Amino acid sequence: MSREEYLNWTNKAFDASKIFAKPEALHGIRVLELATLILGPAVPDNLGLLGAEVIKVELPGAGDTMRSVTPYGTFWKNASIGQFAQNHSKYHLALDVRVSQGAEIFRRLAKKCDVVVENLRAGTMDRWGIGYEQLREINPGIIYIALNGFGQWGEYSVGRASYDAVAQTVSGLLATTGFPGRLPLKTGVFVGDYFGALQGTIGVMAALHHRDRTGHGQFIEFSQGEGLMRVLDWSWLYYYLEKYNRPQTGNRDLAICPSDVFSCQDAPVAVAAASNQEFQGLCTAMGKPELAKDARFSTISARLKDENAVALLAIIRDWAKTKTVAEVDALGSKHGFAASPILDAKDLYESPHMRARATVFEYEDPMYGKMVETCCPAKLCKTPGRIKWANKPVGLDNDFVLRKLLGLRTYQLKALAEQKVIGKWVENPPGRKPPADWDGKAGVIM
Amino acid sequence: MTLPKITTNLPYEDFSPETDRTWVDWIHDMDDPKQNYLKPEALDDLTVIDASYGSIAGLFCSSILAEFGAEVIRVEPPEGDLAREFSPFGYKHQDTGLGYLVEARNKLHITANLATSEGQEVFRRLAAQADVVIETAAAGVMDGYGLSYRYLKDINPRLIYAAINTYGHFGPDAGCGKVSYDIIDQARSGVMAVTGEPVGPEGPQPWNIPTKEGSWMGWYAGGAWAAFGVLGALHYRHVTGEGQMVDVAPPEAELSFCDYHVAYYHTTGKIRGLVGAYDSAVFPYTIVKTKDSYSFIAGFSDVNWEGLTNIMGDPELRKKYPTIFDRLNPDFQPEIHKAIEAWSKNFTSQEVFEKVQDYTLNRRGPGVVATARMADVKENFEDENWWERGVFDKGTDPVYGDLALQAPVWKMTGTPGRIKWVCRPIGADNEYIYQKYLGIGKTQLQEWKTKNIV
Repeated sequence: MSREEYLNWTNKAFDASKIFAKPEALHGIRVLELATLILGPAVPDNLGLLGAEVIKVELPGAGDTMRSVTPYGTFWKNASIGQFAQNHSKYHLALDVRVSQGAEIFRRLAKKCDVVVENLRAGTMDRWGIGYEQLREINPGIIYIALNGFGQWGEYSVGRASYDAVAQTVSGLLATTGFPGRLPLKTGVFVGDYFGALQGTIGVMAALHHRDRTGHGQFIEFSQGEGLMRVLDWSWLYYYLEKYNRPQTGNRDLAICPSDVFSCQDAPVAVAAASNQEFQGLCTAMGKPELAKDARFSTISARLKDENAVALLAIIRDWAKTKTVAEVDALGSKHGFAASPILDAKDLYESPHMRARATVFEYEDPMYGKMVETCCPAKLCKTPGRIKWANKPVGLDNDFVLRKLLGLRTYQLKALAEQKVIGKWVENPPGRKPPADWDGKAGVIM
Repeated sequence: MTLPKITTNLPYEDFSPETDRTWVDWIHDMDDPKQNYLKPEALDDLTVIDASYGSIAGLFCSSILAEFGAEVIRVEPPEGDLAREFSPFGYKHQDTGLGYLVEARNKLHITANLATSEGQEVFRRLAAQADVVIETAAAGVMDGYGLSYRYLKDINPRLIYAAINTYGHFGPDAGCGKVSYDIIDQARSGVMAVTGEPVGPEGPQPWNIPTKEGSWMGWYAGGAWAAFGVLGALHYRHVTGEGQMVDVAPPEAELSFCDYHVAYYHTTGKIRGLVGAYDSAVFPYTIVKTKDSYSFIAGFSDVNWEGLTNIMGDPELRKKYPTIFDRLNPDFQPEIHKAIEAWSKNFTSQEVFEKVQDYTLNRRGPGVVATARMADVKENFEDENWWERGVFDKGTDPVYGDLALQAPVWKMTGTPGRIKWVCRPIGADNEYIYQKYLGIGKTQLQEWKTKNIV
């Protein structure tokens, strides 16, 4: 009864229908983005989920390269589906910072911003006169983050391109993912980019707290390969202590036993039981309560020993074969061990739980209509994260941003456009322009 | 390849500013991790209570805050956190599992039995003085102790309370009470459904199933998003003075890394299957066998595809799959992969790398091709570059001796994170923390020890 009461309270405190009735945690923080693909743009996207105002600067014409990266070449309503994922609620300014007028506009914008995010090759911004050294002169409170594959300095930082999968490959994640003797597995999603961007965002927010206290800004450097190395749990320590070179172990967790994926009659199921109590529950569920007393399995450390773990996982594998996923899942609930089906995008899309938590987030975009995307996984009861609109075509907000923040007049905007310092989308390559049925107005602020 | 000269000047060394230094030299001087200990800390005004149990997600959240200088107090039950048992093959270093040792950095460790009224009162008093509470129990457990946010907010309105649990603290599944581990978080995130080797020409094999990422990625994702939520709430508190509750479910945390996963289903009604060495949105962008190992190699856009096929000396292959639509066609990807592998297996990964760098850096033709040799744990740990970059930190812990861990990931000119000590035994800081925050001395602690309260 008490749990029910508590859940009534939390369901009310976090009610997703009230998201837009509440303030935003990062309201008043302005972020200037000069970044492409995912690692860079996802940092301001994360900050934007909590209410930061983000100005995304792209090159006029083709804009962000991610506008070409979309599953199976699907350009939905003339847009790349890959581009939507890390470009929410942003203002889209297409500005050529490589020419002096463009760089000057960028500097004037940076003066009015709290955070600058870039993911160019080390030193590029500096060469254009808009690097940290220059920006901190005009805005000492600026928090400037540079993200890339191998950092700003050091042997690997020179002359190497990096993508998400490069980070996976060099970090050790690839070498430790997949089944023994089989292909080292890329994670099926761009984890080095998105996790890296989240780590970068956390650095920015820690710097923001320091700035709240002192008024001082700073420079932050983040390498995505190094970011993944941080989250390889005990790999490095075990190598240091015992020279153990961690191999691929499929779905078996070497440090928790049992913890693995087993094939049922219908589909695979994930099962784990670390504590003795949970393990006893699993043995009961399997109809083999005596296993919990077997010396090979009766303690946590006994179960983790290699030969015992192999034997135990084989027993569970044989049992799971005779069950369905739903049966194992239900037994997990009944006997207190961990069990779950493997959920795919459709399961998550249709999950009432994900909808109620606004993790699967539905909204109406002025240009693209009904959108369903993943939203902020950190739920803040007083300042919930949200998506306001989707990614926009290249340069859609040029006039609004430059008029509002820099007071540029119509004749100045015209001149800048004529000189190609600012610009809009191009027809080709695909992924830049508005939908075919666009009326020329929807989504345009000014 | 010649590298720019890198100089490292510690502030106390003879140091004369030069005007013609490159960006690389300048920023290296400014953010070199070797100077970290001379700089201030971003979060050293914060006190954090981490009551997480059996969860690396909770521990990683407080690790981040501790790296940035917060005073983190771990509250464990008298017998210790179950997470201390998480270790490969059950290996223990001074009674502590390696999974725990990696994420105990800079934290103080006390015990309190939250099932007893004395333990609950201790926790309430600590929470009254803390900035952040972190817990990982199922929804309702802390509430049963009178220690959930709805109670603690009345004692401390500035408190930020982070709850990290697989099923969350609200929504239809929140009350299910199920236990969970990293494998469950990964299974429920959507990542596993696309990670794995698809069935090949030899038919279904045991490894053609959804596969987890090698490390505890579900837990790490959950901990990181929780730290994000705490820091966002902290800024809001700076502005308004109000604390709040942060709820993070690790599967949702990992789902946020799933590209356009949900949007793709929404816009097309389709889902992606196991991608293996292929990719649905960029290809070639793949892992190929080499003479000695594996390498990543990519040449996706038309111009980069031209670069890759030039390096391979195979213009026919370029003509066969001329557009990105051909290369993203799942029916063609296995053929393209096979063709690249037929070439790459004649060379070592280093030779592939040299060929690519020669082409790209000397501009022998159009396009930029990316490649990387797969590095394993051993190679990386022994690679001087990562040590120079401060990726690892080796030091002597007063209790646990010489250990090496992955260091904080940020290089910062102002307030970089750092490691001060590695871990503490169960209850090692009881006397200090009970004295400092609660005015409780040895005598009381001794008595409570006999009652299994501490």
